Amino acid sequence: MNTSYGFKQYVKEIFTGSKSLIIGMGITLKHMFKPIVTVQYPRQKPIMTPHFRGHIEAIIFDDTKSHHCVACGLCARTCPSHVIKVQGEKTKAGDRKYGKQYFIDFTKCSLCGLCVDVCPEKTLKFSDEYELAFYSRWDGVMDIMQRLEERK
Amino acid sequence: MLTMKTIDDININERLYQLNLGPQHPSTHGVLHFLLTLDGEVVVKAEMLIGYTHRGHEKMAENRIYEQFYPNSARMDYLSGMIFNTGYCEAVEKLCGIEVPKRARYIRVITSELNRVASHLLGVMDFVMGIGAYTPFLYGWDDREIILDLLETITGSRLTYNYSRFGGVRVDIDQTFCDSARRFIDRMRERFKLYNDLITGNIIFIKRTVGVGVISKDVALDYGVTGPTLRGSGVNYDVRKSEPYSSYEDFNFEIPTKEEGDCMARYLVRLAEIEQSLRIIEQAMNNLPDGPIRADVPCFITPPAGDCYHSFESARGAVGYYIVSDGTRIPYRLKVRAPSFSNLFVMSKIIPGHFVADLVAIFGSIDVTVPEIDR
Repeated sequence: MNTSYGFKQYVKEIFTGSKSLIIGMGITLKHMFKPIVTVQYPRQKPIMTPHFRGHIEAIIFDDTKSHHCVACGLCARTCPSHVIKVQGEKTKAGDRKYGKQYFIDFTKCSLCGLCVDVCPEKTLKFSDEYELAFYSRWDGVMDIMQRLEERK
Repeated sequence: MLTMKTIDDININERLYQLNLGPQHPSTHGVLHFLLTLDGEVVVKAEMLIGYTHRGHEKMAENRIYEQFYPNSARMDYLSGMIFNTGYCEAVEKLCGIEVPKRARYIRVITSELNRVASHLLGVMDFVMGIGAYTPFLYGWDDREIILDLLETITGSRLTYNYSRFGGVRVDIDQTFCDSARRFIDRMRERFKLYNDLITGNIIFIKRTVGVGVISKDVALDYGVTGPTLRGSGVNYDVRKSEPYSSYEDFNFEIPTKEEGDCMARYLVRLAEIEQSLRIIEQAMNNLPDGPIRADVPCFITPPAGDCYHSFESARGAVGYYIVSDGTRIPYRLKVRAPSFSNLFVMSKIIPGHFVADLVAIFGSIDVTVPEIDR
């Protein structure tokens, strides 16, 4: 430490200290007259970007007015957290299988997007919903086929 | 007769006492436990107790296919998740011998450097907040917010990006992204004056940091310290220059170093590194080549039997991924060399003799992420 701490040093420190205080206050004062940078959230909703990764959802295609899921189960096998369960159905023998129920446990989903990448029919997409708080942990388990029916 | 006992009469072993700083303490950046032995206010011995956020990422890698480890890689060092994620992809590409298109490599450099700027801003501002200045922290986060918004437009996430894929990247960048990034670079260059006025020239900041926590060159090298902490001690070492990976050899940038090795030097190195990162981003965007963003790789890769070590520079130092493959779709072993671990434990060497308040300053200047240590 400084051993020769005399009166001169004391006065000098008061001056340098006051100077940095005034510079800091000046910056704060300047920013007081600038527009606010925060989003006033509940009154002002942010717009999500097109690539936003929410939970997954099925795409409605124009040709069938429905999804193209064939219940191959590739998404369920790729999922690192094992949160997807798909069940398919056939209407008659020899027909193509299609996805009937598609459960996802969103509480354990890590939003990696591997299911969307791997889907051979390209029928999955990310939703742009971000207000996903719920009261019970079972509300996090959602059937995206049911959500698709509601969207139709 | 009354006898007065002074502090020197008390036996040293009776005089010392232990203080638990953490695991739930605001200045420990997460869940880190300091067990300090104090003599008055002077620290005699510091023990760092880790493991509170241990999740077993390395063991998890042995139980899942290579693709399923993407989300884990970003969750180790959550502040530079993009760099960790890209590094993991590069390690596996090295193992498989996949040639990544040049455009994808440039996009990786741009996003990694943006992430590095965000991480350094947070590191510097957290350090300044730790020693008592709250206002600069908010200005720093204002700038960081722009980077997060920018990365959100292409990756869709703000912290755990999951952007790199084996053989390339997920989403291409467009002109809007480049224009926003250029605007950010111009803004950031003007903001350096504000930071210099507010932090670097502040007399309290100077008194708290100059000459505090000096890590000498030899100690830093002995403990395996890397990153800005090592460069603050005067060693010119950066993995981006010494073993260039992912087209870093194409760019013209400098490695800022300081000889002092104290908290102030580490802070100045970080600020200078932000400036160099901005230079790299600008060069990469000016010379962005056209072409595909992803090589033709199968949906699930099966690397040949063998092993590989890939080293890259995160915001905190040199990270290494060591992957051993036995020819199946699941890694036999995956080891991560985390820079924060070595950077943290140099503290036990330099801390004795400092005050408790200096410990917070030194810890902040080393800029440690605890989930990366514990993994």
